[in-house]
Amino acid sequence: MVFALPALLVIAAVIVFPWVFTIYMSLHDWQVGKPTTFIGLDNYLALATDARFLGSILRTLYYTVLAVGLPVVFGTLAALIFHERFPLRGFLRGVFIMPMMATPVAVALVWTMMYHPQLGVLNYLLSLVGIPPQNWVYDQATVIPSLVVIEVWHWTPLVMLIVLGGLAALPIEPYDSARIDGASAWQMFRYITFPLVAPFIVVAMIIRTIDALKAFDTIFVITQGGPGTSSETINIFLYLQAFAFYKIGYASATVVVFFVLICLLSLALLHVRQRAKWT
Amino acid sequence: MTRQSNPSREVSRRSVLKAGAGLAGLSAFAAPGLMTHAKAQTSGGFDWKKYKGEKIEVSLAKGPRGDLVQKYRKEFEELTGITVGDEQIPEQQQRQKVLIEFTSGKTTFDVVMISLHVQKKLAAKGNWLEDLRPYIKDAALTAPEFDYPDFTQSGIDYVTNTDGTVGSIPCNLDYFVLFWNKEIFAKKGVAYPKTYEEMVAAVKKLHDPAAGVSGWLGRGLKNANMTPWANFILSWGKDYIENGKLQTDSPDGIASADAYAKLVREFGPPGSVGYNWNECQSVFAQGRGAMWLDGIGFALPLEDPTKSRIVGKIGYGIYPPGPKAHRTSLYGDGYGISRTTNKKGAAWLYIQWATGKLMQARQLQGGYGCPPRKSPFGNADVVAQFRSQREFLDSMLESAKIARPGLPEIVAVTEFRDILGIGLTNIIGGADAATELKRATAEFKPILDKESA
Amino acid sequence: MSPAELLRALVRKVAFGFAVAVIVSPAILVFLWMLSLSLKPDIETLDYPPSLLPETPTLDNFVAVFRDSPFLRYTINSIIVSFSATFIALAIGVPAGYGIAKAGAAKLSVLILISRITPGLSYLIPLFILFQFLGLTATLWPIIITHLVITVPIVVWVMIGFFESLPMELEEAALIDGCNLWQGFRHIALPLARPGIVVAFILSFIFSWNNFIFGVVLAGRETRTLPVAVYNVLTFEQISWGPLAAAALVVTLPVLILTVFIQREIVAGLTAGGVKGG
Repeated sequence: MVFALPALLVIAAVIVFPWVFTIYMSLHDWQVGKPTTFIGLDNYLALATDARFLGSILRTLYYTVLAVGLPVVFGTLAALIFHERFPLRGFLRGVFIMPMMATPVAVALVWTMMYHPQLGVLNYLLSLVGIPPQNWVYDQATVIPSLVVIEVWHWTPLVMLIVLGGLAALPIEPYDSARIDGASAWQMFRYITFPLVAPFIVVAMIIRTIDALKAFDTIFVITQGGPGTSSETINIFLYLQAFAFYKIGYASATVVVFFVLICLLSLALLHVRQRAKWT
Repeated sequence: MTRQSNPSREVSRRSVLKAGAGLAGLSAFAAPGLMTHAKAQTSGGFDWKKYKGEKIEVSLAKGPRGDLVQKYRKEFEELTGITVGDEQIPEQQQRQKVLIEFTSGKTTFDVVMISLHVQKKLAAKGNWLEDLRPYIKDAALTAPEFDYPDFTQSGIDYVTNTDGTVGSIPCNLDYFVLFWNKEIFAKKGVAYPKTYEEMVAAVKKLHDPAAGVSGWLGRGLKNANMTPWANFILSWGKDYIENGKLQTDSPDGIASADAYAKLVREFGPPGSVGYNWNECQSVFAQGRGAMWLDGIGFALPLEDPTKSRIVGKIGYGIYPPGPKAHRTSLYGDGYGISRTTNKKGAAWLYIQWATGKLMQARQLQGGYGCPPRKSPFGNADVVAQFRSQREFLDSMLESAKIARPGLPEIVAVTEFRDILGIGLTNIIGGADAATELKRATAEFKPILDKESA
Repeated sequence: MSPAELLRALVRKVAFGFAVAVIVSPAILVFLWMLSLSLKPDIETLDYPPSLLPETPTLDNFVAVFRDSPFLRYTINSIIVSFSATFIALAIGVPAGYGIAKAGAAKLSVLILISRITPGLSYLIPLFILFQFLGLTATLWPIIITHLVITVPIVVWVMIGFFESLPMELEEAALIDGCNLWQGFRHIALPLARPGIVVAFILSFIFSWNNFIFGVVLAGRETRTLPVAVYNVLTFEQISWGPLAAAALVVTLPVLILTVFIQREIVAGLTAGGVKGG
């Protein structure tokens, strides 16, 4: 226990203190040129009826569902491929995981250029295969899917690694006996591989969910929540409240509500994980 | 990163000009000059070396004015013996940074470029900036050639707070003008519009998506789109806020927003809802837009052959009279001294230099923006340079006559722009103007009420 | 093998090769495009149709990045911040990981877990107010301290996983031989956990290096880190894509190179930390 003491102190200072202080601030009204005043739960009441905030919750959920589902599907497929032996596998796996380590801001800037509706390379590539140009992040209908594409590009490798770890731990015996019984490749995947790897996929989903809820850098750099509010997730909303409008109390209340939401979601996912273990 | 602070590119630009013989005469902002007057600032026995050895920090918004003071920074350092640490940050971030630093109680900068249309009232309320009136009056602090009355009345009004204090010295007045591509106009035999109706007709006629040309370029991005709409609502005879009352959901407010949104939606490039000025500028500089409504201060890169394909083909048009009034919108920036600095003397010298007659003349001559002083427009060197492109100067002088501040002078400008701007973006996206503006106005009203309470 | 079987095997191989190409190409293409933009002169970056190979390749953009802004200083800032935050995190996180793993302190690991879940942005407001109060805003310390929010949980998390997988027998034997707890940790567990520490170091360093949001709000002219700086290179004319791509490449290149060379460690750490992460 003594070993954990220094870390505990630091965690108390940089992690627990902010939590407590955030709750304190959320009960106050902070404005430029005015003294701070205690206003009780007013910020929370205002949040409950703030259409913009409620909209940002829905957008966050929309973003999260896409940004969890797609990387999990693609990452699992990629893991199945990297589980095979083939030349240059180690090197190509290194290339494949590069996006995951790349600096998000730098990558976001390059995607911004690629997404440009008139001058971007993506519309050019589409035109080569006869698809009309898209507006990508410049259109209210397509902005979130377009941002998710970047998220998928960025984080599919992590899912791949986790699932690959699961595949590596698979026992050989069931496959041998299945092969003797004449099972097809699909049957082996469906009835042996998938159930054994499922817990790892669930883990990947949990991690993806947490990270998708935290997504900020890419959205901030590319759209700042726009066009309009169509990509304004909770993170962007609270950044604007705090550092563009300087409504510190209101932003703090947002943090608290968001935190509760995240904890609830995480609990739900942990519950799913327990169930996945039983079956 | 920009051309002005970039000697080698300057050289390469000149070689480009040499190569394309005819081009040189067309590029309005190419010629160097005005170096002859550099010594003029030291006249009159004023002691510029009083704060020798001090080091000051300057926070600048990214743009031509920032480039200008950085380009000549050494001159100031030689003149005064003061060391300057300056940096440019993109304007939105700079505004946030300024807000954050001032609310923290102690700023890391001594001099700040502040946007008058966004942060003036906020700065006054937060008591961020020194009142400069005593400085201007004090002959020991202010060089005689500073000549405050040389500033135009609109410039002086813009920096003066309601209680009479002066928080900053103006360095730039940004009038909205209509940039137009003369080549595209000529091809279709269209003349520069004299009225709003003609403008809309011209937009329709020039719009040619098959040729990759958009008839109209204008900001659609939330927040940023409030400046071009300002031109429209002013032309419909209204201000955004009149006598403390929001006009954004008045019949004229709704009609003007609808008209603007329609131009962007139907004749702007696809994706315009996400466009700020820089996207518009890129498209216009590529020769893919017929008209672009934005600030005259954005002209510089358009005339730079390393960045633009339309050098020498740009018309600088005065925004035509609208249905109810002939107006254009005005924005501006000024230099102020942070209240928390203990280097106020050195900071004030910097401001005198940055907004002095020489720097302001250079600002006009180099196309860095419209100076709030009168003298640059009478400067023989400057005027001579624009002989072939008198239009550029005239667009400013004529716009000045019809200009009004585009954004309301309130504390919560950023929120105002944000909330109403979202409404406008939605209208551009196809939503009903009246519904959106009633909703957005209702959303902002409590914030305004709270502020005035 | 019959010709039909050979053909089938061949088709399988080709199809598999194609699948590999498909999953690897997005990563390659984006970075190649980034490289291509960074080597093009300004006006060529906007050419349409765009070409992958620059017509007149130039290093001007990279020169411009370092000449027109104090990118070298930002690089040094980034190095100082990432190393400091990582070393502090290791110094306190490795013993903590040991303590938690050996004492089975589940509650503490939940605390670490929650801090891993909380968005970084939410720490920013209170820490910002705290630094206002302490007046530290002109130094690198606020940045380093906020980066601990990222690095400490990563280190503790990875280390718990490693210490848990270490056999207890050696330390028990050492304790019987008269070592105290600290000596057991210092001389037995620590050397064995070296691979784990390397992994924790790398991950913590990379995530600190990549962090953006803390710097945006807290960093000033002289304390800016690279990701913040690259965002600030978004110039007045957004049409200068060349320098922007060059700056972006400069920021992310060290990390990319690191990734390819030591991917084994990264893979090990992320899967260990990841599988525990739930």
